[in-house]
Amino acid sequence: MPDDTLLRLAPRVGASLPSWREVVAYLRDSGRPTAIDVLRSARATGRPVLQPRCGVGGHEEMLALLRHLDTAAAPGMLSVTIDSHTRLGHFVTAARELRTDPGRLNGYPLVAHGWARGRELTESVRVPLEVRHGSPDARELFASALAAGISSFEGGGIGYNLPYSKDVPLAESLSAWQRVDAVTAALAAEGVVLERELFGTLTAVLVPPSVSLACTLLEAVLATEQGVRSVSIAYPQGGEIHQDVAALRAITLLCERYLPQDTEVFPVLHVFMGVFPRDRAAADALVFHGALTGRLGGATKVITKTRDEAWGIPSAEANALGLITSAVATSPLLDFIRLDEARIAEETAWILTEVAELVEPLLAARDRVAAVCAAFASGALDVPFSASRNARAAVLPARDPGGAIRYLSPGGLPFSASTLRRNRELLADRAGRGDVTDVTGVVADINHFADAIPVRTPEVSQR
Amino acid sequence: MSHVDDRVVVLGVAESDAHAVANRLIEFQLRELGFAVVNLGVCTPLADFADAVAAHPQARAVVIGSVNGHAVADLRDLPALRGAGRLPCPVVVGGNLTIDPADRPEAKRQLLALGVDHVLDDLTELAPLLLAPPDGAQVPDEVVRA
Repeated sequence: MPDDTLLRLAPRVGASLPSWREVVAYLRDSGRPTAIDVLRSARATGRPVLQPRCGVGGHEEMLALLRHLDTAAAPGMLSVTIDSHTRLGHFVTAARELRTDPGRLNGYPLVAHGWARGRELTESVRVPLEVRHGSPDARELFASALAAGISSFEGGGIGYNLPYSKDVPLAESLSAWQRVDAVTAALAAEGVVLERELFGTLTAVLVPPSVSLACTLLEAVLATEQGVRSVSIAYPQGGEIHQDVAALRAITLLCERYLPQDTEVFPVLHVFMGVFPRDRAAADALVFHGALTGRLGGATKVITKTRDEAWGIPSAEANALGLITSAVATSPLLDFIRLDEARIAEETAWILTEVAELVEPLLAARDRVAAVCAAFASGALDVPFSASRNARAAVLPARDPGGAIRYLSPGGLPFSASTLRRNRELLADRAGRGDVTDVTGVVADINHFADAIPVRTPEVSQR
Repeated sequence: MSHVDDRVVVLGVAESDAHAVANRLIEFQLRELGFAVVNLGVCTPLADFADAVAAHPQARAVVIGSVNGHAVADLRDLPALRGAGRLPCPVVVGGNLTIDPADRPEAKRQLLALGVDHVLDDLTELAPLLLAPPDGAQVPDEVVRA
């Protein structure tokens, strides 16, 4: 693939891939729908695309999983979730695990399998695939995915660094993702528009909407600087439906305000990514609630969850059931539901204000990559519970009495006095839980859904 | 809380464990209580804890979280490090120590045998333990749990 100048891959990697012309032709002329085709037609219908996460180590097992989900649950798209070794660029380790015990891999090692097997995945199902991973530097994985004919690629320099890596400098991950975005733009010029989904879920636990949206918006701005004109912005369900619907609606408004006018934007909802109930009936209800939230918020796509979430990687059957539950939740059967629009409008206005306070100082900078790095170093941008040392994690979120996620401590975020006052007032009623040294309350907020129902006997709840 | 301003706590997550949430919550809580927290973060080898204590000899304790069930394996080098005169301060371990909760008492016994000074059953036990007077003999594990 002679695009080494754009991706800046080692020559041996480029030499192992088909030519750029062949990759473009396979993506463009195969006759199969691409991710963007599916998203555009879903937008026209008003029903979100449903997509599960799925990935296993062995190739035959992955083919079987994709085919099972495609036929059993008719998703709009399917995922190729990548294993942790490949995410970190440890392709040799992934290849060794694949030879010795593929069952130990927690995803599909696409680079180790190679692009030719990737094409077998693409050709095995009726729907387009997305590569989902968590790589701070995904260039080689991206090249393999393109060669495999995969038309959707998740990630960005903030969201695929801070939750996943202990000490990769943001300057490195942002630079690597600029290369991915430059290739995305070059492909669009050839007539192949990729879905580029930005991972606003971040650390997945009590992520305040304005933190999520600020990070993905900045990633989107950096992508458009490289010429990208189509982005999916993913937001994680927090669990309070008015706040979640407001956040999803804010995505479109923020992109109209801050991205080039010709940018196409797809809001995506990730069904609850925090601590799930172990009780499978309660988990089903949360899966349903999430998909419904996505439909009501106008998400073009919903990434589904399963009743097995609290128990580990889901079985194929549970994954299919999650899709079917989500299909019911987004069906016209529930079109009668109306939410409190005044409450949503108020939430939306505050989300727009908070995001503006976070991003506008950075957007004014000439070198926005440097500005983002400096902001994380100073705490002016921050992510709660960051696994990386490169975010200060001085932000402490908490739920208000209605379950919406607020700032218990804003850390170094440069919020206005009115924003700080509102957050303080909304948390004032946390009975005895306002003390930031008392982490019990925050732990209870993290376990909001896991603790929401009375515990039943293990025999019943494991069914 | 100025009386603890001079107190350093070395904090981190065991070597095989990448879970950041409890670690960041503890960091936040201890800072609010006035501790100077040296947070080594997720996936920290035991030798890195020893290096941090060498750099901060006044450290009040080393607090190691482990929620992936591999606590005993990740602490296996503690006797060797202690034998070499490293990690002289109290070592506190807490979290989900085993994959099956039924194995916890045995894991706790093994950790104490390795030389861990306190094994905590709950996050709320940490602050009282660290705030206890340093010279007033160590708080017995049983008292902390009650």
